Order: sequence, then structure tokens, then C-alpha cells
Amino acid sequence: MASPSTQTDYAAFEEKVKRTVYLDNLSPHITEPVMRSALNQFGNVKSVHFIPNYIEPRNIPQCALVEMEDLMQAEAVVSMTSHHYFMVSGMPRPVRARPAEVTMFDDRPKMPGRTIQCQWLDENDPDFKVAQKIKGLTKLNAAQSAFLLKQQLQEEESLAKYQQDILNANYKKHEVIDNIMVDGTARRLADRYNLSCD
Amino acid sequence: MVEADGAENLEFEWGKKRGVGGKKKDVQFYETFTYDGVEYTLYDSVYLYKEGEPDPYVGKIIKIWENSDKTKKVKILWFFRPCEIQNFLGNEDSAENELFLACGEGLGLANVNPLEAISGKCNVVCTSKDNRNPQPSDEELQAADFIFFRAFDVGNRRILDKIEEKVAGIEVKFIFNRIDLQKTNVVLKLDSDKKGASGNAIASYETVVPSQQTPTIEHTNLKTTGISIDNLGKDNAGSNSSLVKQKSSLREKPTSTVGVESDEMAKSNDRMENDFNDGTKSGPIVKENTDSKASLVEQKSLLRKQPASSIGTEVKISKTNNRQENVSSDKTTLRFEDDSIMVGKRVDIEKKVKSAKDFGEMEDRPSKRAKFDGFVKVDDKNKKSPQILSTGLDSNDAKALATVTALDDKSRLKLAKDTQVAEKDPFKKVKPDDKTKFSNGKLPKASPGRALDEDKKIDHQIMEVTRRPDTDRSRWFKGLPWEDRMKTANEQGTLVLLQNLDPTYTSAEVEDIVWHGFKESCTAKMIQQTSISSPHSGQALVIFKTREAAEIAVRKLDEGCLLLSNGRPLVGSKITCYPEKKPSFFGHLVIDKLKHQMQREMKEAVSTSHCSQPNTIEYEMAMEWCLLQERSDCAWKKLYEQQGEALRKLKSSLKFK
Repeated sequence: MASPSTQTDYAAFEEKVKRTVYLDNLSPHITEPVMRSALNQFGNVKSVHFIPNYIEPRNIPQCALVEMEDLMQAEAVVSMTSHHYFMVSGMPRPVRARPAEVTMFDDRPKMPGRTIQCQWLDENDPDFKVAQKIKGLTKLNAAQSAFLLKQQLQEEESLAKYQQDILNANYKKHEVIDNIMVDGTARRLADRYNLSCD
Repeated sequence: MVEADGAENLEFEWGKKRGVGGKKKDVQFYETFTYDGVEYTLYDSVYLYKEGEPDPYVGKIIKIWENSDKTKKVKILWFFRPCEIQNFLGNEDSAENELFLACGEGLGLANVNPLEAISGKCNVVCTSKDNRNPQPSDEELQAADFIFFRAFDVGNRRILDKIEEKVAGIEVKFIFNRIDLQKTNVVLKLDSDKKGASGNAIASYETVVPSQQTPTIEHTNLKTTGISIDNLGKDNAGSNSSLVKQKSSLREKPTSTVGVESDEMAKSNDRMENDFNDGTKSGPIVKENTDSKASLVEQKSLLRKQPASSIGTEVKISKTNNRQENVSSDKTTLRFEDDSIMVGKRVDIEKKVKSAKDFGEMEDRPSKRAKFDGFVKVDDKNKKSPQILSTGLDSNDAKALATVTALDDKSRLKLAKDTQVAEKDPFKKVKPDDKTKFSNGKLPKASPGRALDEDKKIDHQIMEVTRRPDTDRSRWFKGLPWEDRMKTANEQGTLVLLQNLDPTYTSAEVEDIVWHGFKESCTAKMIQQTSISSPHSGQALVIFKTREAAEIAVRKLDEGCLLLSNGRPLVGSKITCYPEKKPSFFGHLVIDKLKHQMQREMKEAVSTSHCSQPNTIEYEMAMEWCLLQERSDCAWKKLYEQQGEALRKLKSSLKFK
């Protein structure tokens, strides 16, 4: 059924999917130029597309699809982020990269040769009840996912808070040490105990 | 009349030549041509279809030619629908069926399309008060699919109230109403209220043909006496698109016979063949008219040989895509009653032919009729024999008809078969929602799905036959970006979230599904999947045209079950996405005291990426983040596994596969 042109279209699209990486855990402040310069280290970025978030809570991390020049470069990005902690535009939360999937794309062409059928079920149909159950289950599943997402966001928030505390404490510690050197306390103590502190 | 040879190509014939052109004088220009049984003339308004566009484009043919490589081209001067140029319309009001003529210079004025992209005639009447414009009569206005009196300057992107002296190099007299059209002796008052979409539920008109020969008909053979053409659909509201057509091409026949064509468009997904039924269809049909996608006007071109007046009629007729012609003559009445439907291709028809002799040679005719009747019969749940009144027609006619519809028949046959086997209303696929209301519950279940599938196939076929316009017109004047539209939809309450779609569906496919499921055109957007999206349920945002439509759709989805392929009942809910303030992001830390300085640096920096080095506090924290990520990944995976398992169990008890 599919005409050759749609098939080639789709093949071209699949190629594009292969050389694209999906990045998430991105800060919402990251813009396309930032993304480009961050990933140009591993190859040539062809395009950057941020996946819009319409229905999820607003504070989930941003995700992006970055199309590289070829499959090799895309793989390089993925393997790099799995071996190192790659920070973009902030730390310490590393960015994660994965190979992109077809369903992540907005502009995906129609799958060639696929026909969709749809049908309004009759109420007396035995399938009707099952279908109603499936609908219920779908809603339940969506609620579960939403809950898990909320949970996850909470965990992230508490981790961020915890780390912030550590960081502040750490900073304070270094500041104290720094000050000891600066205001001469260290030298006076060294004199006192006959030590050299140079 | 061209006999259908391969039946693969839609019947086509060049008409009057105009001249040659091109570098090597190898381009032949024409003034008229006949395509798929419809005669087109220069400056006719036509529908052009593009895949994926719910509404057909409307344009005016301003040039017709054939290249040396036998490709047939037409140059189309476009009309714009108000929605296409709404960004430039400002506060100006526009009628539902108003069009704007493209003028000025620039993208969008006119372009060249393959002739095959034309899918039917369109009656566009100019209502400009300009004195150069022959004012249309009331009948003409009634019959008009569209009207226009303003123009849209594609260069300056402005609405002009006055039409220039020349548009796209065409003199304005060709743009305005045609004078001859007015002079034409209107034999029939045609109700071509095709614009059901605009909501006018104008019932059809009684059509009366003046007795005796119509004045302008010089054809001596023709005699039409006392024909009262009665559109049977007139007494139900659903007869919007029914059209009465007089076939007055009965040359070899004795007096007082009228050729009748009860033809309906099989190619159109949305036929309203049962206008004259028991009145079960009413309102919903209205919407279908917009989707005359793929419907091609099927006309007997015999009329071409008729005198001018009938051609005038023909022109009018042919603009209607979804059409139905019933003519009943007082003398010759055929009544088709199908008593048994065979699972094969044929329907036995009992014919009550008063003047039976006319049917002697009509071998082809009955079989075609059979299909038709098949439809009608199936439509008619009460097994009441449909009152298709028709009269005999001469054998030439029948042949011609069969020829024209040969291609059509193939697909129609399939459909007919399908529906016949299922012994149910083919209309179900058009208006599946009606099933629950009208059926007595014994309708086989598999059929609508199959019928739809069939539909799709037919769509596909037609898509191959008639290419869509080359240029992607929808991109010329970009609609508002999705975000803006979503915002408006939010405010108007037309936004619906669909769940449980196959995640691999595309936005266009979702629009198709909505179209088939609810007969509503909409704008849809699949929500792009992310790493945390459910692999079981794809989601899509759909913007309906009206709040009511959105609510009805959600209610129907809630109460009924729209089952998609691979056993997915669609779930719909109204949602409002209200953007919260600023998104916050956890995980990027700054030291409070340095915040100010950091932010400034960030702004200036273009590249702020690095790999974390071991033995730093950052490295340790990154590790913690990865740990958390890993944990939540596991949680998601587990959750979706469980969900998948539960779904599978349920689905296995579905009989429908």
C-alpha cells in the first residue's frame, strides 16, 4: 500500500533517529547554543530540539533531542555520559544521554503500510465491558505514573536540598580555613607551638 | 464517450484547444477538459485536495495545458478560507462560506498543480457589489458553495475590499460571475446545499422541470414532458447534499421518459445515500460535507453533447460532491426492492418497471444499481424497500454510466460487499455513534472497523489516483504556533487529552482517528515520549473546533468505547494546561554567597559544560544523583512492567483482535 516515497521518507527518518541522542536531566535554562557548544566537543551537532512539556508538572527536567552528524558521534555522546559525569550549565547533576526513539519525535512521518482501524463497540458486545475495564486501567496507570513522578520529584528536591547543605557547610569550612591563614591566626598558633607554617 | 479501457485511470478527455506555447511549441493549452465525467472549463472553480487537510482547497482554473511529456497541468488561482488567513483578518468578520480571492503578488497567489489534483467542481459565487460583476440571483446564491467579495493581497498580506482590474494576469471579468451563467436557462432549481458545514440545514427543494422541451434545447430527440423531479430527500433534514439532477439525454427513447441517475459517490467516505430513508440521519451529516475528500464527481458526460442549457445545469450539478440524484418521472417509474442480499457481489433486485422495455439492454446498469441498492437496503434497517424512483434510460446512457463508474465500482464493490456481508448499515462507519442509538443491537461488531479499514484503503487508492497539490499550502501562511493555539483552546475549553493511543501514532493519524470517530476535524498533537513516558499508552492533545464538540467527544468516549487497532479503547478527558510560573529545577547548586557572581558568569558564558573530575565534591554529588536516577529508573521500569502485565491480561479476554 505504501508508496515508495513514503517508504524512503520513513527510512530517512529512521536514519535520523539513529544519529540522534536523547538528553535529559537538563536545566530549563539551557538554550540551544549552550547545547550545541556542549556537544560539539564530540562531533557536529546538526539540530537541537527541546521536547516541550505540556501536561506533566512544570518542574520536571528538560529533555532534548540532539541530532548529530552520524551514528558514531551519537554513540560517542551516549558512551561519554555513561562513563563520565557530564555537566552542562550547572552542577552537580549530570546530564544523561540515551539513543533516541521514534516515539520521541514530533515530526515523525507516518509508518508506511500501517492502517488504523477503529470501531465503536456495542454495549451488548462482550468486549465492551473489557474495553471499559481497560479504559479504567489506563486511567489508573496514568495516575500511578503521575504519583511516581511526583515522588521522584520530591526525592530530587530533597537530595538537592541535602546537597546544598553539604555544599554550604563545605564552603564554610574552607572559608574558615582560608580566614585562619589570612588573618594571621595560623601564624600565631605556629609561633606558639614552635612550628613553621610556610 | 470514452469507453473505459483499463479502468485504471479516471476517464479523461481534452476539450477545446486554445493554442500552443512553450519553447518548442510543444505545450498545448486547452480551454476545456473532461475529467472523471465532469467537464471543466477555464475559470471554473474547483476543489483540490491535499492529504492531511480536512478541508479541500478551493481555487479557480486559470490555465490548462499539457506538456510534451503528456503531463497535464492546471494553474490555480487560489481562494482562501477565512481560517487560513485568520492572522491577517484582524477583527473583520467573515461568513462561514466566505472565501477570499488571492491577489497581489507573492507566494500563495497561484500555482501549478497536476490536473489530477482536481477533485470536483465548486460553485463559488461572487457577491461583490462591483458594477463589473454580474449580480447573482437568489437561486444562485442559494446554490453557492462559497461566496466571495473580498480579496487577500498575498504580498502585503492585507484584505482588500475591492478587486483589482487584473488578478494574476487574468482580467477581472473572468473572476466575477459569468454572464452566460446567468443567461442560462435554469432548468432545474438545484439544491446543492453542500455547505452543510456552515450549518445551514436547508432542506432540498422541490424541483420541477418545465414541461415540454426547455426553450434552449435544440436537440430534437429530447423530449421531456411533464417531468416532476422530486428530491425525495426533501422531507428530512439530512438531505443537505442531495441533488437533483436531470438527465435529459434520452435520444432513442419514446416520449416522456427521463433518464435518471441515482448515483452516489462511493469514493467519498461520507456518503449520504440514504437521504431519503427513514429520516434517521439528520444533523450529523451536516459535518460530513466538508470532508468531500476523495470524492470525485461522477457525471455522465453524455450531457456534454447536450445543448447549452443542460450544460449549464450540469455545471451546477457537478460541483456537489456528495450527491444524490433522484428523478422521478410521472410515467416511468422504477422501483428497486432488494429482497435478498447475496454474500457475493450482486444483489438481486426486483424491478418493477412499468416501461420495462427500456431496460432491455441495461446489463451494466442493474449491477451498478445493485450496489447502490445494497447500500440503501442496508441503510434501511426496517427492511423497508427504499423508494428509489428512477426512470428508464437508454442504453447509451447506461453504458456511459457504467464506464464512468467502472473504476469507482471496484472499490465500491468491495465496500458494498463488506457491508453486505456484515448486513449492517454502512453508515455506521460514517457515524459510528449512531449505532447505539439506532441499532437494535444485533449488529455484528467487526464490521465498522473493517469498513473503516476499507475506507482507508479507498482513501489510499484515491490518494494515488489524484495527487494532492504540490505545494503545501498550509505552510504559506502559518497558523498560530501550537502553544498559542493551545492557550486559546485552554481558554475556550476545546482541549482534550486522549490516552491509550499507540505511542507510535503520528499527530496526523490521531486527527484521522478523531475524524472517523467523531466526524470532527481537529488539530492534534501527539505528546512526545520521554524516558518516563508510559510505553503502553500514547497521549495526544486534541483541539476541537468548538467546546461542544470537545465535550461531546469526551462524553462519547466515556460512555461508549472507541476501540482502536490492537485492542486499545480510547480514553479522553478534558484538560486544562495552565502553565505554572517559572519551572524550577533541582540539582544545580550554587554557593549562596557566590550566587550573584555565578549568575553573571553564566550569562556571559556560552559553553559551560565539563566532565566531572574524580576526587571532587562535585563528583561525589554527581554520583548521588546517578544513584537516585538509577533508583527511579528501576521504579519506572517496575511500574510499567506491572501495568503492562495487567493490561495484557485484560486484553487477552478481548475477542476483537
